Amino acid sequence: MISNYITIAIRNIRRYGTNSFLNLAGLAIALAACLVIFLVVKHEYSFDTYHTNSERIYQVVKKEVKEGNEDFYGGIALPAKKALSNDFPTIKFTELFTSFGAQFTVLDAADQVSNKKFLEEQGVFFVEPGIADFFSFSWVEGSPEILSKPDMIALSRSKAIKYFGSESNAVGRSLLFENKIRLRVGAVFAEPPPNTDFNFQMLPSYATLESNLDLWGYEQNKESWGFSTSNHQVYALLPQSVQPEQVNKQLQDFVKKYYRPEAVGKIFHFLLPLKEIHFDTRFGNNGTHITSKSSLMTLQLIGLLILLMACINFINLSTALAVKRSKEIGIRKVMGSTRVQLRIQLLAETFLLVSFAMIIALLITWLTLPYLKYITDIQEKLPLFQSNVLLFLVIILLATVLLSGFYPALVLSRFNPVEAIKNKIHAHSIAGLSLRRVLVILQFAFAQLLVIATIIAVSQMNFIRKADLGFNKESTLLLSGNMDSTSIAKHTGFKAALQQLPEVKHISFSMDAPSSDNNWTMNFAFNQINEDLPFDTHIKMADGSYVETFGLKMAAGEFYRSEDSLRKVVINETMVKKLGLKTPEEAVGKTIRIGISEWMPIAGVVKDFKNNSLRESIKPTVLFHAPGKLGNYMAQTNIRLETSNPGQALSKIEKVWNRFYPEYAFRASFLDETINNFYQQEERLSRLYKVFAALAIVISCLGLYGLISFMAVQKTKEVGIRKVLGASVGSIVVLFSKEFTILILIAFAMAAPVAWYMMSGWLENFVFRIEIGWWIFLIAVVISLFIAWLTVGYKAISAALANPVKSLKTE
Amino acid sequence: MIKLEHISKWVNQGNNRIFLLKDINLGIEEGEFVSIMGPSGSGKSTLLNVVGMLDTADEGSYQFYDQPVHTLKEKQRSQLYKQHIGFVFQAYHLIDELTVYENIETPLLYQDTKSSERKALVADMLDRFNIVGKKDLFPAQLSGGQQQLVGIARALIAKPKLILADEPTGNLNSKQGEEIMDIFTQLNREDGVTIIQVTHSEKNAAYSNRIIHLLDGRIEHNR
Repeated sequence: MISNYITIAIRNIRRYGTNSFLNLAGLAIALAACLVIFLVVKHEYSFDTYHTNSERIYQVVKKEVKEGNEDFYGGIALPAKKALSNDFPTIKFTELFTSFGAQFTVLDAADQVSNKKFLEEQGVFFVEPGIADFFSFSWVEGSPEILSKPDMIALSRSKAIKYFGSESNAVGRSLLFENKIRLRVGAVFAEPPPNTDFNFQMLPSYATLESNLDLWGYEQNKESWGFSTSNHQVYALLPQSVQPEQVNKQLQDFVKKYYRPEAVGKIFHFLLPLKEIHFDTRFGNNGTHITSKSSLMTLQLIGLLILLMACINFINLSTALAVKRSKEIGIRKVMGSTRVQLRIQLLAETFLLVSFAMIIALLITWLTLPYLKYITDIQEKLPLFQSNVLLFLVIILLATVLLSGFYPALVLSRFNPVEAIKNKIHAHSIAGLSLRRVLVILQFAFAQLLVIATIIAVSQMNFIRKADLGFNKESTLLLSGNMDSTSIAKHTGFKAALQQLPEVKHISFSMDAPSSDNNWTMNFAFNQINEDLPFDTHIKMADGSYVETFGLKMAAGEFYRSEDSLRKVVINETMVKKLGLKTPEEAVGKTIRIGISEWMPIAGVVKDFKNNSLRESIKPTVLFHAPGKLGNYMAQTNIRLETSNPGQALSKIEKVWNRFYPEYAFRASFLDETINNFYQQEERLSRLYKVFAALAIVISCLGLYGLISFMAVQKTKEVGIRKVLGASVGSIVVLFSKEFTILILIAFAMAAPVAWYMMSGWLENFVFRIEIGWWIFLIAVVISLFIAWLTVGYKAISAALANPVKSLKTE
Repeated sequence: MIKLEHISKWVNQGNNRIFLLKDINLGIEEGEFVSIMGPSGSGKSTLLNVVGMLDTADEGSYQFYDQPVHTLKEKQRSQLYKQHIGFVFQAYHLIDELTVYENIETPLLYQDTKSSERKALVADMLDRFNIVGKKDLFPAQLSGGQQQLVGIARALIAKPKLILADEPTGNLNSKQGEEIMDIFTQLNREDGVTIIQVTHSEKNAAYSNRIIHLLDGRIEHNR
């Protein structure tokens, strides 16, 4: 019986080739989309769940209430861990310190500095030996105990190989951290899996940090409760019996005990579960990205909708086909088949088709996975075959079979056998044309929603790319430097050497580029009035060549020169407005005091440039050449190039760098790329929209095709009669197109307001953004109509061209 | 075997009730060979469908082997005709996607016959009608006469007591028609199968031992 079903299923699939292909294509695409989404969602939810103690690990975080605003910090004061261990003796605590962009240099066997040096952007954590009780490690060489001593380091296997060639060679050898601290390798551990926000790679002991706090300028903050940095974090391992709520309550007394009295009621500590760290957007984590649970929900919803759309198509196409298959059904009934048996047969066919679609979907998924990094935050390649995937496949297979096969099976098996045999089943006997219309409207509404979203997202990204930032971002090279006096002292010589290169046009030293993610603010006073203004100013430390290097424009006065004997500053136009001055000229010559500096005259006003990403507004800003020790912050070298071969210029510059700073790794980036990186998430999102909009369009077109096929069958007689009465082919094509044009317009009316609302919300993220113009909606509806036209054109024309004698004969 | 009493069937068109069958009283004994004749629209096929339980009457009672068919549920009816009745159609009504072999096998699938037994039964039937060489062909590859042979083979495969034939030779030439009628006669005489055929042809009707004439849904003649 089963084999018979399968034989017939295969023959039927072959016989109705086009139909089967459309069904197959739609289903395969939708299933692949679902599978990819499943893998992504599963991956995101698996973050840091593999630690044996993951359920009991919490981060001690901080909430600050300021003027009604709540600010959240993952960082915590330096003495916090000791105090916590003291006050909560039943709970284990461990502290760690992350160090971004640290340089490590290999010391050779004779402990001499070698040429082998690397910058580690990620994965550098100063940790205590207790870390191993929290997070799951597997130790290849040595043990975590070595981390109890200062100047020791544990390496991941890949780093051991990178620095020393092999894991066994690494132990006992030494590394130089930031050209300052000698670290001896005491242990090697296995690579952490990709689904962690704690990508442990280089683990110097926390004791090392404690004895070198001055290196970070934290020596004076050692005992301070007012200071915290996101780099310093404390984690708690709760015993089984202790609930986090109890601890949170006790943490209020903790604040009372250690903080200044005025902090009480303003500062709160609480425990953030490890499993929330990957999702809680209030805090930063140590990984590459935070994923909000709502965006994962949206993704799952999109997957579900796409699958539903494909199932709707399947139902539409199958019931349209039912008319053609009615004879077979009738004969089978006469031969003694019961309805149940017929339903089983039809479901078996669906099962076969869906299984086949599933195989294609697996193939599509397998081909798609390497490209996932362009549309999601997941940068590593996900494995396709992993536990649960099989279970998911089986569930989704059965769900799809039931969703798409049940209704057609019900309709077909209900046919009256006598009528079926005599070909008296017409599309009229299969109810639900209006239902079908509703389904197609919903599909198109969803597709157009995504199309509009895509157009808006893409235009905003184009706007960002082309936006006038107020400075020149092209051909500008940024070199990260070191903030120590020795390196800074070499600046003059370094600059002179660089100026020898013909490709180099301008050079300046500064803290950062005009647009950066830096938000250093300070209190300040204006015009000799010895009282700080109620708002802080953003500061940029830069030398006098900054203006030419970045092509900043002056609104009034002139830019200060580094060689000026009198320290002068430049402010921006926003600052002029904030100070209540009418024109920029008014500001020139007045004085400003930043923090506790002396009064400095304003040399000029620079036209506004974008301080941060376009998500943020322009801030009142003061630019000045930092004096004394503060000058060490101006460690970044900005080079404006004038060359058609930037690659060659880069290598020349690197040579000069190595002459001046042999002990420091060369780290260069182009400004335009740096700026583009601000918008990585948005870029990926707009790509994600594009992909799903395309999918939704394809699937709704398949649906439209199904509907039109159904209508063509249903209207065969009508078309025949009209043609006999003299209707032209054109007028019949119009008959068909009128129908779907109306459907699409209704769908558009539903999609447009939702899309407008949704995307206005998204654009709110940007201070500098496009207007949602009517033309966006026009493009969306024209695209939909055009594609729909292409889809149904063939079917409509072939229905119109059919010989009326043939279509009327069956009556 | 078959006993119809006061059978009527109608359709409503507006306020008018149009009778397809009106007050039919008919008894058919096991082993009879009956022809139903009458002009187009006289209700021949409707009567055959009612007898064959593919259709139900709106009024009257129908006893099949002393079972009250008109009171049975669809499932029981289907069970009954599956066991006892085979159909032969004018347009053959073979399933186009199935081979000759599979077409003949189909009724057995719905009676849950075992696979080995199915094979034997189908092989017998192919033998009997001399179509062994055609078993892997599809209906479209056969002549009309051959298709009807397959149709008859399919009707006989489940060893029915009653064959209902709706103009079985209507689409065939006279030589093919004669062959089919010979087969029916043989079945009736040698195997004792009851046969009811609807036909327009006096010549075919002559093969039977009783002819029922229908006109406007009523039995006009019953001899």
